Amino acid sequence: MERRGRLAGRAIHGLIALCASGAVLALFAFGYGPVPALGRALDPGHGAWASAAGGLPVRSHTLTLPGLSHPVSVTFTSHGVPSIRAASQDDAFVALGYLHASFRLTEMDLERRLGEGRVAQLAGPSGLASDKFELRLGLLRTAQQEWAVMPRSSPVAQTLLAYSRGVNDYLAQARADGHWPAIFGLTGVYPRDWTPIDSLVLQGILTQELDFTTTPLDYALLERSLGPAHTMAWFPVLPPRGVPQSPYDPGPYRYRGIAPIAAQASAPTVTAQPAATTAAPGPATATGSAAGTAIAAGSVLHETTELPASLVHRYPDSNAWAANGRAVAGVSMLAGDPHLPQTLPSVWYQAALSAPGLAVTGVTVPGLPGVLIGHNAHIAWSLTDVQNQATLFYTEQTSPARRGQYFWRGAWRPMRQVHYTIPVRGGAAVPLTVDLTVHGPVLTRAGQTTAVDWMGNIPSPDLAVLLGIDKAADFAQFRAALAAWRAPTQNFVYADDHGNIGAISAGYYPVVRHGEPWLPLPGTGADDVVGVIPYRAVPQVYDPPGHVVATANQRPVGPSYPYYLGTTADFFDPGYRAGQIYALLHGQSRMAPAAFAAIQLSVTDALARRIVPRLLAALHGQHLSATQQAAAGLLRGWDGSMTASSGAAALWWTFWGDYLGAVFGPWWRAGKVPVHKDHAGLAVSAQQFSLDQVLEAWTVSDRGNAAFTPPGSPHRTAADVMRTAFAAAVAHLAARLGAAPSAWAWGRLHTRQFPSITQAPGLGYGPRASGGDAWTIDAADGGLESHAGPGWRMIVDWTGHGSAMAEGVYPGGQSENPASPWYTDQMADWWDGRYLPVPPAAGGAPWLIRWNMAPGGK
Amino acid sequence: MADPRRLGRRGSYRLGRMSAPPAPRTPWPAAHYPTWALRRRGPVFLWLLACLAGALIVAVGALAGWWFLPFLAGLGTGLAAHYGRLRLRTTLPAAVAVAVVGWGAALAWLALRDGLPEVTVARTIAALAGLPASAAVALAVTLVVAALQAAAGLWLGRALAPGHG
Repeated sequence: MERRGRLAGRAIHGLIALCASGAVLALFAFGYGPVPALGRALDPGHGAWASAAGGLPVRSHTLTLPGLSHPVSVTFTSHGVPSIRAASQDDAFVALGYLHASFRLTEMDLERRLGEGRVAQLAGPSGLASDKFELRLGLLRTAQQEWAVMPRSSPVAQTLLAYSRGVNDYLAQARADGHWPAIFGLTGVYPRDWTPIDSLVLQGILTQELDFTTTPLDYALLERSLGPAHTMAWFPVLPPRGVPQSPYDPGPYRYRGIAPIAAQASAPTVTAQPAATTAAPGPATATGSAAGTAIAAGSVLHETTELPASLVHRYPDSNAWAANGRAVAGVSMLAGDPHLPQTLPSVWYQAALSAPGLAVTGVTVPGLPGVLIGHNAHIAWSLTDVQNQATLFYTEQTSPARRGQYFWRGAWRPMRQVHYTIPVRGGAAVPLTVDLTVHGPVLTRAGQTTAVDWMGNIPSPDLAVLLGIDKAADFAQFRAALAAWRAPTQNFVYADDHGNIGAISAGYYPVVRHGEPWLPLPGTGADDVVGVIPYRAVPQVYDPPGHVVATANQRPVGPSYPYYLGTTADFFDPGYRAGQIYALLHGQSRMAPAAFAAIQLSVTDALARRIVPRLLAALHGQHLSATQQAAAGLLRGWDGSMTASSGAAALWWTFWGDYLGAVFGPWWRAGKVPVHKDHAGLAVSAQQFSLDQVLEAWTVSDRGNAAFTPPGSPHRTAADVMRTAFAAAVAHLAARLGAAPSAWAWGRLHTRQFPSITQAPGLGYGPRASGGDAWTIDAADGGLESHAGPGWRMIVDWTGHGSAMAEGVYPGGQSENPASPWYTDQMADWWDGRYLPVPPAAGGAPWLIRWNMAPGGK
Repeated sequence: MADPRRLGRRGSYRLGRMSAPPAPRTPWPAAHYPTWALRRRGPVFLWLLACLAGALIVAVGALAGWWFLPFLAGLGTGLAAHYGRLRLRTTLPAAVAVAVVGWGAALAWLALRDGLPEVTVARTIAALAGLPASAAVALAVTLVVAALQAAAGLWLGRALAPGHG
């Protein structure tokens, strides 16, 4: 009996031990929920630890790539900038694909996951909201359609295939040796093979980052809260008079009609055939009601808060200018510094490519074949975002009696449905159905059925254009290549070795015949996009008489331009940077690259220079406390320079925020503006460029504007409000930085930071005290903790025919591996305003390391 | 005195003295004090040698991708404990040490032989895992995973050993 009891006890104990140890082993082998397979992930020889191999200094060696047809040599500078020399263009792009994957695989995979709705597969349920939004938005559909219709024998298809072979050669190598970047080893989710569609999706991501905006939804909410009159007075279409503008294309302009609209990605597959021939709509939905619009806007805006911050366009991006003639010492000179979210690694990867018929150097985007910004043997170019409105929201008319249909052009039409399954790490896959109308994908059915028509749904042969630019030898070829460019709309600034300069704002400019496109439009047909601005009518200039052309996201044309481009809210920079660039270039002669570099590094705030004298005038003769007197003393004689050590800069920025709040805050509170639905788009702040401009205009030339007097309050003028705001700013700074204004410094308030693309804290750089602000040429966007700004500074000095001296630098380094010596090795140079030589387009740069790539293997 | 004639009948339990006589009181067993006296040196040396060999196997296995070897080491220790008549307080530290030293040695080997930047990688792993971006944290978690495997294996080994219990 006793023995039987002991045996039973042993059996139970054994069973428990077996289950428990089995559970531990299974957990470590397969993971559970969001917990990765820790046994595999943390195995010292494999898993995440194996990423250490990618952190070793790169050495010369010979490697075999099955994707190559002929040997390729790759030499690296001390900062890891490769110069590829290949016997054919295809081989050059195979090598580029291999290099991108070698040094930026995590970045490439994360970006394609973002666009293809596969973030949750890697990150778990936290990525689901982003996946749903992106699959609705349709970058993947656009890319798939673009690839489906692309002739496989075309140069672009061949380039995409060659590039994919290079990436996949690296993936095969990683599968063999297990040396994956840490994020893959840790999660156990490894990248699949690269395809041309992935590259096209990445192109779409760039378009989304630069041009997808929710501003029409913000307009709808503002109009509902503040009323149409105040909304359009404070967020006007054209900049208010009194605010200086510097269009790079000053005209004269001619109306040249409307060009046919480019085929939308969804259009050919969305049937517009009537499902019923009802002449009039059935039972009306909430279409057109302000309440429904507000609910729909709030729903979409809420979804966008789940996206990575960079995916909704918020900040103006970039400076680029060129000069020729007497203005420069050589024949022409170009400077470019695109401003994008600053991350580690950077969005850019520097490279030089040389092959028969191709010699180009500059920065590439990992995942895309081709140099986006740089120079070849004869021309140099850089980009800034045009910022025109190309995101239109449509309120579709639907009916509960006609599920799956919408009313368009007099008849009920069926929506096309696309079904997706979203894999989720540690959870069940989630099905998603996307409805498509003729306008685009339906983003929400809350309140109203709202669809979006935006340029990301339009196939754009960007790679074909880039290959054309990479090989162009003069402005005519450059301009011809750009004719096909659609998205994102970009200002291409140009300078060549014959002393010519120019700029073209190439891209997609939708024309809406009726309605107010800055608001959600009725989807019944009358307010549809009817065409685009013809290429010959888009902003452009060639060899301007002033010998200077500059773009800094300002409105590129004057008020007499005969087409609608967008409003002051979000779509265009106020022009402070552009005005400053033109001011610094004006009247100069024989400028050298150092002079251009000084402009790129300028942190002078043009708005401060206009407003501070008015503020000091308002304070003159007033009774001020000792602290206020000392604070005012900081501003006297200040030149508007937003250096990190400047106390005046700290005071100015704080004052301007308080001034905006004192003027507009009471109106916002009275109108109950739902700021919580989209803080970036609805809150009163210096990031609201419309408010900045109207307040500047009133302060300078309309000091008695009625807006200074809040509803139900005694009359106020600009001077009254400025004094109130000044006192508030001094109090704020005294509380935060101490009572002695002499101890105040902009760098104690303002930092720059470079977060890791993985969002992992601890892998980024900063925050670090920094100068600059949103309106300085050396821009720092994002408020007091800036995370966007110059991501690449480049200067190309054409000294003669085929002879260029180029230098550039970007914050970060060529490798994405935090253990690599090339992770942040350019950061110090970038921070201190130094530049590094750009390897020549035709090769021949001093090199330390050489990879000999040979075809072969399998 | 109880009446023996009532034995087995109702109420007989009240008879008291008829119960079985109490067991004779035995003295408590003498306390056992572990000792490392010379007479035990031989087996201890052998056990240390076995642990080192186990750690070496675990390390080599880790480099080969056999991440589950700490579990097997614990399992083996648990089974061996039966034949060596070793207690948990001896075998548990031994199994954990084999696992931790094995994985630690593998990491050290990679860092020393190949010069791999394991410290920076450890920071990266910790940060990606959402932990404080410290190399010590990732290293500790890695070694804890090895130790847990060994402990689970040991438990199973002891439970499955013949005659256990």
